[in-house]
Amino acid sequence: MATAIFDVNKRWSEEYPELGTDPVPTEPCISAEYFELERERVFRKVWLYVGRQEEIPNPGDYMVRDLKACRTSVIFVRGQDGTIRGFHNICSHRGNKLAWDEAGSCQNFSCKFHGWVYDTAGQLVGVPDEEFFHNFDKADNGLVPVATELWQGFLFANVDPQPSQSLDDYLGAWGKRMSGFPYGELTARYAYKTELKCNWKVALDAFSEGYHVNVIHGQSYPDTFTGKNNPMCHLPEVRFYGPHRSCIVYGNPNHKPSPAAAIAYRFGESVTKRSGSQDQLPAEVNPTRSAEFGFDLDVIFPNLLLHILPGMWFTHQFWPLAVDRTLWEGRAYWRPAKTPGERFAQEFNNTVLRNAWLEDTATMEATQEALSSGVKTHFHLQDQEILIRHSYKVLEDYVGFYTENGNA
Amino acid sequence: MGTTRLPQPFTDIEVFVADWSLATQREREQKRAASTAEELKLVYRILLPRVDPMLEYLNQYSLDKVPADAKRLFYLTLSFAEIAPFVECYKGEPRVLNSFEERRFIAVHADRLA
Repeated sequence: MATAIFDVNKRWSEEYPELGTDPVPTEPCISAEYFELERERVFRKVWLYVGRQEEIPNPGDYMVRDLKACRTSVIFVRGQDGTIRGFHNICSHRGNKLAWDEAGSCQNFSCKFHGWVYDTAGQLVGVPDEEFFHNFDKADNGLVPVATELWQGFLFANVDPQPSQSLDDYLGAWGKRMSGFPYGELTARYAYKTELKCNWKVALDAFSEGYHVNVIHGQSYPDTFTGKNNPMCHLPEVRFYGPHRSCIVYGNPNHKPSPAAAIAYRFGESVTKRSGSQDQLPAEVNPTRSAEFGFDLDVIFPNLLLHILPGMWFTHQFWPLAVDRTLWEGRAYWRPAKTPGERFAQEFNNTVLRNAWLEDTATMEATQEALSSGVKTHFHLQDQEILIRHSYKVLEDYVGFYTENGNA
Repeated sequence: MGTTRLPQPFTDIEVFVADWSLATQREREQKRAASTAEELKLVYRILLPRVDPMLEYLNQYSLDKVPADAKRLFYLTLSFAEIAPFVECYKGEPRVLNSFEERRFIAVHADRLA
């Protein structure tokens, strides 16, 4: 059993002095101008996670993602050759939306306006009354493709007609570090969503630090991610990989499970058990295999949080709908249960996790409303909130709001 | 009696089947949210010492082959999983304290059979 004890009192500002220590403007969370620049210079330019490949397992399976942040709707469809392709969800004839449902399975897509037909490779294969079109070649009028690539079974899309990087290059060193975890085996999904009346960054920031754990999760996870050695949920590790970032969230090795949690421990995996093997973790995640490892918390720029621990993983994603509206999607994944006991353990753990997410989301809309007054112009971030600091810095690298506009 | 029947060692808790042997998460969440703290604490207190033997009994079956009587028992354990955090963390209150509006939190899997 590992005996490595984390140093939880590192000063991240000394390790990463380039990020500075100044207060950070609140304006990006309330400015309509900033929102539009984010749309053009971030969301319409980079690789965005859109779902797992298991969601469309068979040829003909498709899912539709309404990407308001990119000002388009995209169909992701698995072709007859097994390849997943993305297409803008618009008919080449007169612009009608082609697929109106969220997901399904088909041999072809038929437009409900004039009956044009496209196959699952995006080719236009049927035009009623075709001979009455002028100089028209079906071969030139298929669906407009969207760059679509897979990393470890995660489907990413890039609406830039000429993506500046491949997905592998975009994920870079971060992608290499997080490869090898059994994402594709842990496929039993419990998914929640809601529309939040706040800027997407207000939501992202709330999940990007451990400083809130004592207060927000004092009832759902007491004494779980804090302990005598780490009363303030300090992060044992913080790393940056270009636009992406990761940290370790502490796990209390002396945590005593509640009576119901102890039953769950006996029958299946748990978020808090921490007594089993860490073999599933990639080599660079908790490399000392410390027993104080709670979970790895990773942010893939711009808007995806990925957390892994032995036996399960979960994601949060924040889709900008408007400067003060966000679609939040929270998803937990487990190994498909074979026994009733395993299924019980998942149900108990998901209930506690869902309750924690209800706690996390409690403050966001009120925060947005208060920020919109403009009374407070800056966030004051402590050393342990350095992931938030990195987020605003990377966004500004892409958006250039303060450099271009000369806004101080 | 027929539709509330539980396997032999657990006939004494058949009284809970009508209210709590619920097949979907939507039903279990709604039932919990509509209960009083007294009701949740009572169910928790009675079921807590039984859940371990219930799961030991149920584990003789693979999850996809649980017969009808045992399935009623299984759904009771899932309701216990829904109730327990409220008794253990929120003193039995049927809502998370300091919480976002729960009815706006959409569970995509709410109607999936366990």
